[in-house]
Order: sequence, then C-alpha cells, then structure tokens
Amino acid sequence: MRITQNMLASSSIYNLQQQQIKLSNLQTEISTGNNINQPSDDPIGTNTLLGIGDQLAASTQYATNITNANTFMQVTNTALQGMSDTMQQAIQLVDSITSGSSDQTTIQSDVSQLQGLKQSMVDYGNTQSGDQYVFGGAVSSTAPFSGTSPYYSGDGTALNVNIGPSATQQMNITGNQVLTGTGTSTPYGTTNILDTFDKLITAVQNNDVTSAVGIQAESQKLESGMTQITNAQSDVASRMARLTNAATLNTNTTNTLQTIAGNIQNVNYAQLAAQLSLQQTAYQASLSTTSKILSMSLLNYMPATT
Amino acid sequence: MSLDSLMGIGKNGMSAYMTAIQVTSQNISNVNTPGYSTQNVVLETAPSTAGNNGSLLGNGVQVSRIMSSYDALLQKQLDNAQTTQGYDTTTANALQQIEPSFNDVANGGLDSAISGFFSAFQGLSVDPTNQTARQAVLSSAQTLTDNFQSASRSLNNTAATLNNSLTPLTANINSTLNNIAQLNGQINSINMSGGNTNELQDQQQQLIQNLSQQLGVNCTTNSNGTTDLYITDNSANPPANYYLVKGTVAGSVNANTTNTNKTVITVTDNSGAAPVTSNAMDPTAATPFYTNDTSGGQLWATLKLCDVTIPGYQSQLDSLAKTIVTTVNAQQQAGSDLNGSAPPATVAFFDPSKLTAATIAINPALTSTNQIAAAANGASSGDNSNALLIANLQNSLSMSSNTQTFNGYYDSLVSKVGQDVQTANNNVTQSNALTQQLTTLQQSNSGVSLDEQLTKLMQYQQSYQASAKIITTATAMMDTVLGLIT
Repeated sequence: MRITQNMLASSSIYNLQQQQIKLSNLQTEISTGNNINQPSDDPIGTNTLLGIGDQLAASTQYATNITNANTFMQVTNTALQGMSDTMQQAIQLVDSITSGSSDQTTIQSDVSQLQGLKQSMVDYGNTQSGDQYVFGGAVSSTAPFSGTSPYYSGDGTALNVNIGPSATQQMNITGNQVLTGTGTSTPYGTTNILDTFDKLITAVQNNDVTSAVGIQAESQKLESGMTQITNAQSDVASRMARLTNAATLNTNTTNTLQTIAGNIQNVNYAQLAAQLSLQQTAYQASLSTTSKILSMSLLNYMPATT
Repeated sequence: MSLDSLMGIGKNGMSAYMTAIQVTSQNISNVNTPGYSTQNVVLETAPSTAGNNGSLLGNGVQVSRIMSSYDALLQKQLDNAQTTQGYDTTTANALQQIEPSFNDVANGGLDSAISGFFSAFQGLSVDPTNQTARQAVLSSAQTLTDNFQSASRSLNNTAATLNNSLTPLTANINSTLNNIAQLNGQINSINMSGGNTNELQDQQQQLIQNLSQQLGVNCTTNSNGTTDLYITDNSANPPANYYLVKGTVAGSVNANTTNTNKTVITVTDNSGAAPVTSNAMDPTAATPFYTNDTSGGQLWATLKLCDVTIPGYQSQLDSLAKTIVTTVNAQQQAGSDLNGSAPPATVAFFDPSKLTAATIAINPALTSTNQIAAAANGASSGDNSNALLIANLQNSLSMSSNTQTFNGYYDSLVSKVGQDVQTANNNVTQSNALTQQLTTLQQSNSGVSLDEQLTKLMQYQQSYQASAKIITTATAMMDTVLGLIT
C-alpha cells in the first residue's frame, strides 16, 4: 500500500480524536461516579434505574405515611390511656358508694366528681392530632363528642393509609366504638360509657342502689366499659406493631433497591483508574509518535542545491 | 543522422522533462487540495526516423499524456459512504439535542414529577383536610405540567430547527448542482479542443462528494468526460430516473415547508423538453422515494427526524399527558371536595380541554385548594378514600392498552430515546470509520506523496541536466566540425 503524508496526518488526527473521546468518556465516568450519565449510555440499564427510582420514591412516600400514621396512633393511644385512667378513678369512686348514701353533702360531692370524670372522658374523646379529631371518623370540622345524648356526632369512616405496595392500614378508631359502643361494628364492646356516667349520676342523686339503672347495675357497666377501652388500646398497640414491621420492611426494600441501583450506576473506581492510566499511556504514545512521524520528510535530507 | 537530430534529441528531452517537472511541481503544490488526484507524466519514445543505412534511429523522448490517478470505483464507494455518514451524523446530532430532555438519570425530570404528583396525593390521604397537604398537591401538579410542557417544547424546537434547516440545505444542494452542470460545460469544451481536464474533473468529483453527503445520487460518466447525476424512484414501475444534472442542465430539489410537520421534498428534472416535477421524499407516504433510509443523506435524515421520529416521541408524550389528565379528572370528579360538593359539580383537576403534553394545565376553574376531592362521594370532609384512589392511579396499568403504569410508560420512552441515540451514535462511529478507511484507500491511490514527488523532482531534474548535456556535447561536436573547415 502506498502511504502519503496526508494519509499519515489524517489517520493521526482520526486516531488522536478517538483516543480523546475515550479519555473524555472515562473522565466523565470518574468525575460523576456514574456508569450511566445519559439514557444512550445504556438504555436497558436506564430503564432499570428509572424503575428503581420510581420504587424508591414510593418507598419514601410510604415511610412518610408510616411516620404520620404512627403520630396519629400515638395521639390516639395517649387519649385511650387517659380514658383508661379516668375510668379507673370512676370505678374506685363508685366502689366506695355501692351502698348509697343519704347525706346530701356526700351525694353532691360524688355527683360533681362523676360529672368531672365524665367531662374528662368527653375531652379525651375530642382529642386532636394536628387539626384532625382522632375519634371523629371522617367528621373533622366539629368536635365529635358532647356531654348530652346521643353524645357522638362523628361517623364510622375508617381512615386508611398506604403503608406499602398494595398494603393499607386503618389508622383511626372511631369514637362510637370506644365511648358509646354503637355504630355498624362494635369490635371492643357495646357499653355506652357516657350514658353509664349519666345514669350513675342520676342514680347517686336519687340514692338508687338496686334498680335496673341503680348504682350497682351501672357500676357493672363501668367495669365492662373499662374492658372496652382496654380492648381498643390493645388494638392500637397491635396496629402500631404492624406499622413498625412495615417500616422495617420498607427500610429493607429501600436498602435492597439502593444496592441494586448502586451496582448498576456506581463506577468501579479501581477499574476506571487502571483504564484511565492505560488510555493515558496510549494517548501519550500516539502524541509522541505522531509528532515524530509527521516531522519526517525527504526534504530534511535533500541538499539545499542539487 | 546528423548533429541537428542530436540537438533535437537533447531539445526533446529538455522539453519533456520540463513538462514532467511542471507536473511534479503541480502535484507538490496541490498536496493539500481536497479532491486533487496525483497526475503522472506518461513518457514515450518519439517517433523514429529512418537512418542512412536503413536502420531506424530514435528521436528521443516525448510526453504521451498527463494521466490522473483517479479511481472511479473508489470514488463511488467514498460517495456512498459520505451519504451514509451525512445521514447518520444529522440523525445523531438531532437526537443528542433531544436526549437531555429525557435524561431522568441525572436530574429529576418528568419521571420524578409524575411520582411526586401521586405522592402528594398520598400525603393528602394521611391528612385530608390539611391545607398544606392540599397546597402540596397543587404545587406538584404545577411541576408535572411544567415538566410535560418543557419536554414537549424541546421536541418542538428541535423539529422546528430541523424543518427550518431544510430550506438552506436544498438551496445548498441546488447551488452544487448548478456548479456541477457548469463544470460539465467547461470539461466538454476543453475536451473538444484536446486540453487537459484532470483538474476540472477533480473539482467536479469533489463537488459530487460534498453533494453525496447531503443527498445520495447516482452518476454516469459520458464519453466526452462530463458526468450526469440522477436519482431513481424505485416505487414507480418501471423505476423512473429523475436527472438532477444532465450535461449543462441542472435540475433542482425543493422543500415544501408550508404544511407544518409534513414537509415534502420535490425534485424537478429539467433535462427534457418540459420540466418534470415529482414528490421525491414524503416520509408519510406509504412507499417513500428512498426505500433505503441512508441513501437519502442529510436531507432525508432531516426530513425523517422532523416528520417521523420527533412527532413519534411527541405523540407518546401526548398520550401520557392525555391519560393522566383524563384518569385523574375522572377520579377527582367521582369524589367530594372540602366544600361538600358532590359529582358532577366537582371541578376537574386538570383543564379537560388541554389534552397534549404542550398544553397540559391545571384547570383554571380550580381556584381553591378546597376543590381537591379527597373524600368519597357524599362522605364527610375528613374522608380520605378518594385521595387514596387518585394516589393509587400511579400503580394502575393505564397505558399501552392497560399493560403499563404512567411511570413505566415514560421509562420505556426514555429507554427508547436512549436506544435511538445509542444506535445513531454507533452508526456515526461506524460510518466515520468506513469513511476514514475509504479516504485512506483513495489517498493511497490518488493522494500526493511528497517523498515520491521529491524523488521524481530530483530524478527529472537530473534527466533535464542530462538532456542539456547532450546539447552541450552536440555543440562541442559542432565546434569540432567547424574547426575542420579552417
């Protein structure tokens, strides 16, 4: 093959250009730390990365949902604990007056204590998390409990929250299930605690000890009301345990996804450094030989005059 | 046999080597001229004359012709390679402009905007009456529409730029065609007067090579040295040839850009009695003129990009935008908002009349965050079930005949754009390598080697000196003869 100076020059330019491109690609990968810097670098890897990115975004949202639901349930739990303590006080009080009393002063004192305890139960029932009434169901604009029958003005809506891919968890307990024992489902019991308080107050006032709505009968209901609240508490506790599990699962999923994404996306610095060094050597060799070859010409050896 | 003829041999030699040195100098000077082919002097013995004793005596050397080392086959291959390179380079450049708009790998683009939008509804589902959560839904919707519009705008701009480039491109092609036709005229007249047309033909080949990059053409060389160019419509039966250059008559190529996104290229053949115009390239036609994409060069690549490829991406974006608008609106209008208005009074979330990626917008009638329907139809304001249903739309298979989610569909589009760019880049690398290879071959065959020319220069110079020596010798002999007389 006949070789001309122009061929040497143009192939030198072409080859130097190719090496520059390789160097530039290596440089991009090393400086960004990413194997895939644009979709065309690896279309299939890009698709996988984007899919993982979507799942990671969803995981982040699930984590936020779990945290928010957890806050909501903590508030619910605190309120239930308050109700439980109040009930305890009420039961102790009622135990001390099971045989009734005819002393008006004692009656007044007991009645006002019972009224105070009932108001506490109503107040606990109107507990808010942020601006949401935790026991109100979907009714969030008005307080769900009042001291007069029918006591409950909320509804029975279950508020569900997404805690994982196609996994939902109800975060609220509706007030009627806890305090009035009414509604379409009554999983904890059917005792109307607020009504019991009202009846107890009437019974103490009238010194009614043994009738169907007397102190003894109603104190029994107070006991079952206590059980009702305890049931609700244990339900909240089990839901919070499920949230903790979901959070752990979510964290594990996130970690796994990040590892997979990292395997695709993160560069192997040692390998790249070795490649870069090889490429540099090749480039320097090209530069050196190019300048040597291109400067060679018969002209250098021709005498000034022949 | 005489001293005169000896002088004649010396004179012929000096004259022939003078020509040879002139050709060599021409070669050396044109070492860097694009398209220049090395010329070689072909020497032959001058016709002999009969001597006294009946034997033939030589008359020295003469220049037979000056031959160009041009190789038509290599040139044809190089032209074809240039056409492919023109096609690939144009495609790759345009696609690389588009790619950043779909580069969700590096920065949060449309993909994360879609995720963000549905995440905002998840956030709302936890606290359905919270105004901050409602505002977050509106903000993320704004980000979503902005991203859609920006991706769409980038596609549109690229297509518009390409479409605008068609007019200067065809103008350039037409001016090249005219130049080639003019050179045909010059080559013809010089050939008739027996002159040397090597340089003119080199120039013409260079023009054809440049033209090939923009538009693939077939060429035929006529006996008078002129070249005709034509393109063939293979979709016609029998295939029809349209001459772009025939002798000194140039045809023309025109882009009809009046119809947006459906540019048609027409060719006009002026070689006949009346001009014939045909739709040469119509990317939307069932059988386009150019059955093999790459034979169309830059022109076809540009046309295909702005009439087929980019509108293809655009329609996928539009389809995604349209489905998001309609499904979200349907779910929104199935629920109750914070004001308690039940369907069908609930206002649509996105503007239901704006169903393309370029126009997608939040419904102007949605003036208050209270109008976002988080609650189920008729439920109290604290209900979150409709917000959950909207959030879950993200995971529903709404796209591609219910086989892909919104994110999945968009990810496929990104992957497709990436694949197209990768293919185009690979093609450019390959056609560059092929062009480089062919250029090397062509250079090896026709290029000027300075070492070779310098060697020849010295060789011819010595021969010139030797021829001069013959004359000196003859002169000395003449002096000897003249000396006899005295």
